[in-house]
Amino acid sequence: MELKTKKPLKKQVYLGQPQDPPPPELIAILDKYRGKPDALITVLEEIQHHYGYLPRKQLEHTARELGFPMSRVFGVATFYNLFQFSPPGRYQVRVCKGTACHVGHSEEILSYLKEKLNIDEDETSADGLFTLQTVACVGACSLAPIVVVNERTYARTTPEKMWDALEHLRAEAVEEVAS
Amino acid sequence: MKAIIRIGMSTSDIAAGAEDTFRAIESAVRHRQLDVTLKRTGSLGASHREPVVDIEIDGQSTLYGPVTPERVTPMLDQHFGAGERGVSDDWVISRKNDRSDYPFLGKQYKVTTKLCGIIDPFSLEDYLAHDGYQALKQALKMPPEAVVQTVKDSKLRGRGGAGFPTGIKWELLRKAPKHPKFLICNADEGDPGAFMDRATIEGDPHKLLEGMIIAAYATGASQGYIYARAEYPLAVNILRNAIAQAREYGVLGENILGSGLNFDVTIKEGAGAFVCGEETALMHSIEGKRGMPSMRPPYPAQSGLWGYPSNINNVETLTSISSIILNGADWYAGLGTAKSGGTKAFALAGAIQRSGLVEVPIGTPLKELIYDIGGGCANGRELKAVQMGGPSGGCIPARMLDTIIDYDEISATGAIMGSGGMIVLDDTVSMVNIAHYFLSFTQDESCGKCVPCRVGTRQMLNILQRLLDGRGRIDDIEKLRRLCYTVGKSSLCGLGQTAPNPVLTTLRYFEDEYLAAVTNDVQGQTKLVAEASV
Amino acid sequence: MITLTINGKTIHANPGEKVLDVALRHGIDIPHLCHHKDLLPSGSCRMCLVQVEGAAKPQTSCGMTVQDGMVIETDTEDIEAMRRDLIDLFVSDHPLTCVTCDKNGSCNLQDYAYRYNISETSFDFELSRPKYYDDNPFYIRDYQYCIMCGKCVRVCDEVVGANAIDFSQRGFETIISTPFDVPLAESACVFCGNCVQICPTAALLPRSKIGKGREWEMSRKQTICGYCGVGCTVEYALKGDKIIYAQGTPDGTVNGEFLCVKGRFGWDFVTSPDRLTTPLVRKDLAYELGLTDEPWEMPQTPVFKGKPKLSNYIPVSWEQAIDITATKLADVVKQHGSDAVGGLTSARCTNEENYLFQKFMRAGVGTNSVDHCARL
Repeated sequence: MELKTKKPLKKQVYLGQPQDPPPPELIAILDKYRGKPDALITVLEEIQHHYGYLPRKQLEHTARELGFPMSRVFGVATFYNLFQFSPPGRYQVRVCKGTACHVGHSEEILSYLKEKLNIDEDETSADGLFTLQTVACVGACSLAPIVVVNERTYARTTPEKMWDALEHLRAEAVEEVAS
Repeated sequence: MKAIIRIGMSTSDIAAGAEDTFRAIESAVRHRQLDVTLKRTGSLGASHREPVVDIEIDGQSTLYGPVTPERVTPMLDQHFGAGERGVSDDWVISRKNDRSDYPFLGKQYKVTTKLCGIIDPFSLEDYLAHDGYQALKQALKMPPEAVVQTVKDSKLRGRGGAGFPTGIKWELLRKAPKHPKFLICNADEGDPGAFMDRATIEGDPHKLLEGMIIAAYATGASQGYIYARAEYPLAVNILRNAIAQAREYGVLGENILGSGLNFDVTIKEGAGAFVCGEETALMHSIEGKRGMPSMRPPYPAQSGLWGYPSNINNVETLTSISSIILNGADWYAGLGTAKSGGTKAFALAGAIQRSGLVEVPIGTPLKELIYDIGGGCANGRELKAVQMGGPSGGCIPARMLDTIIDYDEISATGAIMGSGGMIVLDDTVSMVNIAHYFLSFTQDESCGKCVPCRVGTRQMLNILQRLLDGRGRIDDIEKLRRLCYTVGKSSLCGLGQTAPNPVLTTLRYFEDEYLAAVTNDVQGQTKLVAEASV
Repeated sequence: MITLTINGKTIHANPGEKVLDVALRHGIDIPHLCHHKDLLPSGSCRMCLVQVEGAAKPQTSCGMTVQDGMVIETDTEDIEAMRRDLIDLFVSDHPLTCVTCDKNGSCNLQDYAYRYNISETSFDFELSRPKYYDDNPFYIRDYQYCIMCGKCVRVCDEVVGANAIDFSQRGFETIISTPFDVPLAESACVFCGNCVQICPTAALLPRSKIGKGREWEMSRKQTICGYCGVGCTVEYALKGDKIIYAQGTPDGTVNGEFLCVKGRFGWDFVTSPDRLTTPLVRKDLAYELGLTDEPWEMPQTPVFKGKPKLSNYIPVSWEQAIDITATKLADVVKQHGSDAVGGLTSARCTNEENYLFQKFMRAGVGTNSVDHCARL
C-alpha cells in the first residue's frame, strides 16, 4: 500500500474563504442591508446601478458578506430581466414590445436595428456604443411604436428614422471622444 | 386674477416631450413676470393629446394639447397677452370645466383617477385640499369589522383581473389567527399595454396610501409593501416622497392619528419578471428569491409572506377604498352592476382615434367605451376586435361589442376583465399573429417551474409559428386545442392557467384565419377539415 | 384522526399529512415525478393532480393537506388524459434513448411513458438545455435528460445544506447550474451524491454505472456502511460480484435515503488488489514463533517509509493472529503492568464496538488508557 503525500487543498471559492476584501463602494452598498435576508434583489439592483452591470467578483463578495449561498445569488440574478452580466454600451437602445407597439410593427424596427448593428438582442455593438434590448411595455401606448434610448423616448418611430437617430448619436459620441 | 397652469408630467407626458414644454412655459412665465402658479401634475389620461396643459384663470379652465414648445407663446398670449394671436382651435381640447365638450374626458366617470392631472402628486397639501385622508379619519371612527363590511357591501372586486371580492379577502386576513399580518399592494403592472396603475400612482399617490392604511386598519395588518415594477422609476420616486410625507403627517408609523393603529409601508422594487404579478411569486420576490409561484393552498391569507397571513390587493382596488368610505358602500355598489360595483380604469390603445387612460362605471357597454369615448377605429379602418386582459385575456370580436364591462359578462366571451389593458385591433391585423404575439410573451415570461407552462406554451408557440409561416399541418389546430386544455387546467399558477386564453378566443371567433393558415399540408385534406369544422 | 375518501375507499390519515403521502401509503398509486417524502412539496411536475369534490380545478395532491370528509378521485378520464399530455410534453424535451440509457429500468419518466403508452412525443422534439458536464470523478450531469423536477436543488438545500446548485435562467431555458456555471469542484458541492440518488431520470448518473450494465442484471446487497459510527444503511448494486454503484435505501433506519460522499462513492477499495484479505505476521516474529524456517531481520530503514513489502510478512489465519496478539499483550501486561498498554479505537467502529473495546481495556487489560481517534 502506498501512502500518498498530502496535496495542498484546492481553494474553495464559494465556501466563503476570505479573498481580498470587497471594494469600499460595494461595502457602502452592502452595509445598508446586513441582516436583512429579503434585501437580495434590492442589493443586486444597487450594484447594477453602480457598476452598470453585475460584475461576477462583486456578486461573490455579496454572497460572502451577506451570507447568501452563491447559487442563490446567481439564481436570482439570472431570473429577472433587469440584471445583466456584461457592461452595457454607452447607449441602451430598448425597443418596446408592448401590444400597441407590436400592432405598430415594432418587430420590424427591432430586426432592422439588429441587422444594421449586426448584433442580437441583449448584445452590445462592437464599438461599445449600443446595447440592443427589448422592453415588455413602456406604457406610452399612444405614441407607439416606441424606442427608448437611455432616458430619451423616440415616439412613433420607423426603422429608418430610428437608425438615423442612432447614427446621429454615434456621430455625437465620436465628436465627444475627439474633443 | 388667480391663474394656475397645470402641466401633465407623467411618464407618458414626458415621453411625448412634456419636459421641453414645461421648460418653455416656465421661462415664458418668468420672462413675462406673470403671477401664475405652475403645477406639475399627473396625467389626465388623454394620452393621444399629450403633452397636455391646463390653464385655469379664475376657475375657468382651458385644456390644451398637444402643447409643443412652439405653441407655448401663442397659448400664453391668448390668456395673458394683448389680444388673440395664432391659437388654432385644434390645439384646444376643452374649454369647459366639466369637459363636456370633449367626449373622451366628458363621458368618463372618474373615481380612482379623479385627481390625476388635477393635483400635484408631490404635494400633500394639494391632496388634503381635495378631501385627502378624510376617509381614513372616518374609517378610524368605525370598528374594523364595519370597514370590512362596508367594502363587502360596496361589491368591490379585485381590479387585478381575477375579480375576487375584496371584502371577503380582507375578512379572511382579519380572521387569520397568526401575527404579524402583511398587506401587499401589487403594483407590478406587467401586462403589455396596461399603465393604469402607473398613471394612478403618478397622479395621486396618497390615495393609494390612504387605501392601504384603511385596509391595514380593517384587516389588522402591521406592515405594508408596495411591490412596484422596475420600469417605473418616476412612480417609485413619487411614492417614496408620498410615504415620507405621510409619515410626517402622522398617517404612517405608530399610533396613526391617535387611534392606536401601527402601520408602515415599504416599497419593494421588482426587477422585471411578469410572473411576479402572481401572488405567491410576488411574495417570493419580496422575500428576495426567484419569483417562482408555489402551490395554493395554502393561500396567502393562511400562509403568505414569510409564512405569515398576507393579503395582496391591486393598486386600483386600494385606490377605490377612500371613495367607498367617504361616499358609502351603496353609492359605490350603485355605480356598477348587480354583482360588481364601482368603476374600472382601462388603458385604451391600439387602432383607436383617442387613446389613453379611461375610467367608466362597471356595466358600461364596450361599444360606448370604444366609440363614444375612444372615437372608434383610427385611420378610417374597420374595427375587427378588442383585446382585453393582455396575455391572460382574449379578443372580443367587433360583433360582440354590446357586451358590458363586467367580470362575468367578459369572462363569458372567453376574454377576461384583466387589469385594464384594452387594445383595439383593426382589420389589417391577423388574429393568428395576435395569438402568437401574446403567447410568445407568456412563453418568454414563464418562470419555468411546471411542465405545462414551460414546455406546453413553447409547443403551442411552435404550432402558431408554423401557422404564421404557412407551414401548418393538418392536425395542428386539434393539437393546439388539446394543448390549450391541458396547459390551462394543469398549470401551477395563473400565468400558465390563463396562457391559452388569447389562442382560445381567437380560435373561437376567428377560426377561419387558423384554417386558412393550414395550407401546406395535402390540399384535399385541409379542405376536408375546413368543411368538417364549419 | 381524519377520514377521507379516495377513489371510493375510506381512508384514515393523521392531521397535517399530504394527500399524496396518504394515498401512496394506502397503495393508491398517484403518479408523481417531483415528490419526495423527505423534501418540501414543490408541485412542479403536475402529475399528481387529483379531482377534489367541490373544487373547480384539479388540485395538486402533493401539497394539499388532508381534511376531514374530503372526497378525491385520482384517476378520472379527464385527469388521466391530462397526465398523458404532460408526459407527452416531458418527452418532447427529453431524448427517448432508453435502449442505451443507463437509467433504463429505474427511470421514473420511462415508467410513466410506458404506463401512458408514449413511445415518442406527438409534439415537436425540442431540447431546451442540451448541456453535458463531466467535471468531477463521481458523477456526470447530462441536462438533456433533466425534467426540471428540482429534487436535486431541494435536497442540496433542505437536506445537505450545501446549496451548490440552484435554478438559473428562466422559462424554457431554465437550467440547474452552479453559480456562473463553474465546475462542481469549484462550487460548494460536497459530492454527497444525494442529488444523483433522487434524480428521476438519467440527468445525474454515477460515473461508475455508465456502460457497466443494465439495472435488471444487477443484484442488490444491503449492508451497513463501514466508514463511521453512524451506521448508515447502504445498498450496493452488484453485477456478478462487482459493485456497480452504491445508494441509500428508503428504509435506511438512521440515514433514510441519504448518504455522504464516502459511503456513496468511496467503495472502490473493496475490489482493490492492494487490499489485505488475511492477517499478516511480520517475518521476524513469525520466525520467533516457529511459523517459518527462514530467519529474517527488520531492515534499518523504517518500514513505513515507502511501500510496505508484502514479502516481509507471512499470512496467518484469524485464529492464529488473535492468538498471537493475545499472547503478546498478556506478555506486556505481565512484564510491565497494565498501564504499559494503551488502546486507541476508531471512529469507523460502531458505538457497540467502541463500548466493547473500552470494556476490554478496562476489565480485560486493566487500564483506563483508552481513547478514540475522533477526540484527537
